[in-house]
Amino acid sequence: MNKKFLATALSSVLALSAMAGCSNSQANTGGGEPTQGEQTLRFGLSGFEGVFDPILSDNVYDSYVCSLIFEGLVTNDPTGEAIPKLATWEVDGNVYTFTLKDGIKFSDGTPLTAEDVAFTYNTIKEEDYAGPRTAVGAAIQSVEVIDEKTVKFTMTETSPVNIWNFTYGIMSKDHYAHSSFEELAALNDQPLGSGPVVLKGWAAKQYVDMVKNENYWDPDNALKIDGVLFQNVEEDAILAALQNGEIDFCQPAAKAENVEAVEGMDNAHLVSYLANGYTFMCFNTTKPTLSDVKVRQALVYALDRESFLQAEYGSDQLVSLGMCPVSPTSWAYPDVSDLNAYSYDLEKAAALLDEAGCVDTDGDGIREMNGEPMHLRWLVYPEATWPGTLSGMAYDSWKQIGVDLEIVQMDFNTVAATTMDAEPGEKDFDIYTMGFSLSIDPDPTGGLFDADAYSAGGFNASGFRDEKSQELMKQGLTEFDQEKRAEIYKEWAARQNELVPTLIVAYRSEIWGINNRVHGLDDIGVYTDFTQLISNVTLD
Amino acid sequence: MKNYIIRRLLQIIPVFLGILFILFFIVDRAPGGITSNIMDPKMTPELKAALKAKLDPDLPFYVKFWNWLVEAAHGNFGFSQKHYRPVLDVIKDNIGCTFALSLIAMIFSMLLGIPAGIISATKQYSHLDNFLTIFSLIGLAFPTFFLGLLLLKVFAVDLKWLPSFGLSDPKLASAPFLVRLGDYAYHLILPCLVLGLAETASFMRYTRSSMLEVIRSDYIRTARAKGLSEKVVIYKHAFRNAMIPIVTLIGFRIPGLISGAVMTETVFSLPGVGKLAVEATTTRNYPLLIGINAMLTLTTLFATLVADLLYAAVDPRIKYD
Repeated sequence: MNKKFLATALSSVLALSAMAGCSNSQANTGGGEPTQGEQTLRFGLSGFEGVFDPILSDNVYDSYVCSLIFEGLVTNDPTGEAIPKLATWEVDGNVYTFTLKDGIKFSDGTPLTAEDVAFTYNTIKEEDYAGPRTAVGAAIQSVEVIDEKTVKFTMTETSPVNIWNFTYGIMSKDHYAHSSFEELAALNDQPLGSGPVVLKGWAAKQYVDMVKNENYWDPDNALKIDGVLFQNVEEDAILAALQNGEIDFCQPAAKAENVEAVEGMDNAHLVSYLANGYTFMCFNTTKPTLSDVKVRQALVYALDRESFLQAEYGSDQLVSLGMCPVSPTSWAYPDVSDLNAYSYDLEKAAALLDEAGCVDTDGDGIREMNGEPMHLRWLVYPEATWPGTLSGMAYDSWKQIGVDLEIVQMDFNTVAATTMDAEPGEKDFDIYTMGFSLSIDPDPTGGLFDADAYSAGGFNASGFRDEKSQELMKQGLTEFDQEKRAEIYKEWAARQNELVPTLIVAYRSEIWGINNRVHGLDDIGVYTDFTQLISNVTLD
Repeated sequence: MKNYIIRRLLQIIPVFLGILFILFFIVDRAPGGITSNIMDPKMTPELKAALKAKLDPDLPFYVKFWNWLVEAAHGNFGFSQKHYRPVLDVIKDNIGCTFALSLIAMIFSMLLGIPAGIISATKQYSHLDNFLTIFSLIGLAFPTFFLGLLLLKVFAVDLKWLPSFGLSDPKLASAPFLVRLGDYAYHLILPCLVLGLAETASFMRYTRSSMLEVIRSDYIRTARAKGLSEKVVIYKHAFRNAMIPIVTLIGFRIPGLISGAVMTETVFSLPGVGKLAVEATTTRNYPLLIGINAMLTLTTLFATLVADLLYAAVDPRIKYD
């Protein structure tokens, strides 16, 4: 009796599992059955969401999956120049005409045409579209299909940065046919693109299993390995997994101890480079004390950035780079000699404060300015370690020049809401710190340093306005010659370095640990992510 | 008894609604929103506001509360804004692992902790008792993440006996069920051990103190005086009474089966409701947050009812009507 029950239970469980097995795999995308001993590149990461749709994904790892499965009209070369991917283009003012290459096919074998291109961009412009690419939709005025291979975009404005709207993956018009946003979103884990891999299956917070696209249209760039596997491994365990050979590569946080750990591994090596991004410290210049440039400069002089960079990142390179709001990886980065390094100097800081009329009048050790004591509130979020380290150092060194610092802890979203989302005049902070990645083009419009972005929801919380800087920024967008644009941005960057409405604390560096059995990934760099190298990859 | 159950079930409704109402109120007062994390200068304040209006319309919290109830009545528990997927689907993706992990850990800790507690109590102040007491205090005091990392280092990195992360091997996704079951078990050994050890210690402490109290009572002395064997005294007379507080403890642990163990999930890179809830909070993904909390609230309310019923089952003095 008992035995019989067990047998029934087992067989029903088996039937159930057979059904469950189907629901997770992709049937129609051209992926082959797995074979034993296949060569799979395993990427260890944590935090993919499972939104594998080029116009919905808003997460770096989901975007990697999209870059592997989909291809855009345009991509970039290792120096950050736009180059053709699916199409070549011609520009005439604000009109971009793209001509698709020959023989492009989706992974299901159907041809990719101008209709699919128009479909992808028109979907972003739909009324009920609620994804993260609305800015792309706003930059494009209209899309027109000329013939099967040609599509014409009319942009809202004439600008040298327009071309970067065309890097997003092209989606199949038939596969993604939808009558509402919900219908489109429901397809976000069934990707169909023209890229070198296809999705085989995935499990939330576990893995994304991708295999070679056997129908790939461009034989020269076809995958040399059998597939790519993303495995979810938390930061705490990622180096152990790399050392164990359970993953082939990963990107640990660029911290001194992680660099040392990867360098000490027998089976893996380190690739590191300066990335296109920075961490910054924003002053609320609408406050009477911080509106004075001398006060801001004094606070920067009294901050031992050099010790901070060495303690946090273990890097001398970062110290030598100076600070301005353009990344050293960009063609618009000024000469370091044009930048003030603000080397740690407490005497100079004190002198600047005296000059600004900020002195200790009542003898309590804290300076006053216009009767107000120098008491500053710095918003720090605990999601990263560096804001805590930096503010802790500032607390000590600023005390020595008579500035009282209060460190206020709140989560990242609350910091963003307090500083950026709040109405002008209600932005309740003196200083906050954060880190940004930058786009390839150095255009700063709408960002931290754009006075017009001082609003509820705008990115400039400092409230600083300098007409000369605004003018330079506008010039940068009307000039199309890159060398002339570089000169404009260099002048602009040096000006921000002098006025410091927002201090650039450190440029971001990135490190990767790569197993020695992987070949072809070592060229990973600031403008080359691993998905762009995927067709070169071979495994021992 | 039947009336009692019906009454309790009816009571669940207002309590559930009340908790949910408070939840909507708190969520409404929290600073930041779903678009606060967007750090793209090309997203102008106007575009951000338009996106926010579509994802999370600016309505009074009681209107959102009412809308949620109406939709939930139709089986729609909202749309997770970060995943562009129904909340129910996102929770489903994560709850299996949480449930398996917590259930195994709970059974493991009961099987180990309760007998150890009894032995410890019957042999009070012996070397064995001292050893078990010290062991359980260490178990309670040891931070889960630290123990997890320690075991990870020993068993996964140094000895290479067990995997260091994940719930399953993706290459076995289409393997027969039993193979996959074995694979899950292989991946869950370490996490269950870590989660179970702390719970074992607490079960042991509770059982020991409850048992000590019972052993000292008059009816145990009477039972011994009757000439009953020590075994019968302990396991038949004392144990049943000592179990009363333990049953309550087990009842309260039931919600923990689905609420997840953030630390263990994080150290061993497992999917789980605990981590999902934390993410939903930090990204202000309110529909998901509300969905998870509604589920937890309901489970807690039902678990309390079950605990009370079990209470009556083990303690004949308690009668419900």
